[in-house]
Amino acid sequence: MSCRSRTMTLLPGRLSAFLLRDFREALTYKFSFISSFVGILLSSATFYFVAKLVPSGTPSLGPFGGDYFSFAVVGVAFSSLLGMFQEGLPAVVRGAQVSGTLEALLVTPSSIPTVLFGSSLYSVLLQVFRTLLHLGVALAFFGMTFGRVNGPGVLSVGVLTVLCFLSVGILSASFILVYKTGSPFGWILGTVSGLLGGVVFPVALLPPWIRWVSSLLPVTYALDGMRKSLLASAGFAEVLPDIAALAVFNIILLPASLLAFRMAVRKAKKDGTLSHF
Amino acid sequence: MNPTPAILAENLVKRYPVFRGFRDLVRRPFERRTTTALDGLDLRVERGRVFCLLGPNGAGKTTLIKILATLVLPDGGRASVDGHDVERHPGPVKNTVGYAINDERSFYWRLTGRQNLEFFGALYGLRGPARDRRIDEVLRLTRLEAAADLRFNSYSTGMRQMLAFARALLADASILLVDEPTRSLDPQAADRIGSFLRGELVEGKGKTVFWATHDLAEAAEFAHEIAVIGRGRIRLQGTVASLTGEGRTSLRQVYEKAVDDPPVSR
Repeated sequence: MSCRSRTMTLLPGRLSAFLLRDFREALTYKFSFISSFVGILLSSATFYFVAKLVPSGTPSLGPFGGDYFSFAVVGVAFSSLLGMFQEGLPAVVRGAQVSGTLEALLVTPSSIPTVLFGSSLYSVLLQVFRTLLHLGVALAFFGMTFGRVNGPGVLSVGVLTVLCFLSVGILSASFILVYKTGSPFGWILGTVSGLLGGVVFPVALLPPWIRWVSSLLPVTYALDGMRKSLLASAGFAEVLPDIAALAVFNIILLPASLLAFRMAVRKAKKDGTLSHF
Repeated sequence: MNPTPAILAENLVKRYPVFRGFRDLVRRPFERRTTTALDGLDLRVERGRVFCLLGPNGAGKTTLIKILATLVLPDGGRASVDGHDVERHPGPVKNTVGYAINDERSFYWRLTGRQNLEFFGALYGLRGPARDRRIDEVLRLTRLEAAADLRFNSYSTGMRQMLAFARALLADASILLVDEPTRSLDPQAADRIGSFLRGELVEGKGKTVFWATHDLAEAAEFAHEIAVIGRGRIRLQGTVASLTGEGRTSLRQVYEKAVDDPPVSR
């Protein structure tokens, strides 16, 4: 068996080992494990009551089904998920540097990408579960309604968005490997996206002089495409502009992030600072 | 007998960048200052022995071990482990070498010893019953069977060090790299570790142990061969008997003379 095919055969076992490790650790912090789920209920309740202030049929909400509660729940649930893709990898690198486990992981025959993705897998899957729970709680207890769901639209927007935010995560992880702290990529995108990406209010409400910034953020297209596909019964053609924009982001970000990561690992090994923090 | 040495280093060079303050960076933005850790180091370690690398703090011991473990890239020369170049073929090197990291933070403290080994075993490509058998074997070898299902945070310092050996042995590596494993251990625990490395691993299992230390007594007691490193180069290498003239001079005198010597010209 070739080295590459053996690596691929072992990959599921290695990734499941990371999952088991993190699940076992999470179980030892029982209060934190439970309280994170209670937070979802409180967040849904908050937006339910805020939504009562926003009259149904507000024009700027028209393209997204017209209901503010559904608009906000989808925005918050998916932006949290995207934030996890974006911040999971750098958090893993930083955590392993600080806790002292990074060298022990990197002397094993597992590749660095396997170590990184494996280490963030539990957080990502947990966040996916939380997102589904968020939507489920909103549907079951607060009267949220979906339109006619556009499955291909949700899938296309979802996959392209995940790849795009993973790329930003890889860029941030590269920065942390070399400079140890405070990646500007995640911070700028995270902070600016929260305000200008249409997470809790439509981009159309922004003054025109700053609205152009929204068009530079992947989250704008991700949430626009997801809301139209989930809430507004939009057809595939209607979300095609969002899909095209996300594809362009991926064409630029994915190869750039992989190249940056390769260079960062080499520089950290050259400087002898792989496990420094 | 395999003629390939366990470890070979030829003219190995490593320089680290020096930390610079803001003022310095502004004044001389393009200047690159470095400090030399390895300065053309040559070394050959044969198989099946305890090889002690002696040297003062900052002599380059840890740098050499990290290069052999593929965690640091050299700036010049070459190093190979079991014939595999550490820079060009890190994959086979990682399958050959077990690096017993002596930092207790390198474990997951809230997991048990066995759970830690299960996790790292998977990263070494071990699966299913074969992994469980291997874990039982290394726990038996390191005499940690009784403590295997206790949380790592309840282990003593000596037990943590033994678990580091157990982890390094998971993949049945033929070469074990250990960096000051007896640091912060009491004399009895240190003695047990020395006996374990020489008796169980080298004489019992035929492995090669590359042991960095600055403790002359443990090197004299357990090493088949020693080398003294100073200012980034090997100053002398041989058996304790040959270096001390069959006991006519002490190892301390030999060591102090070697590390005080000016750099050897190449």
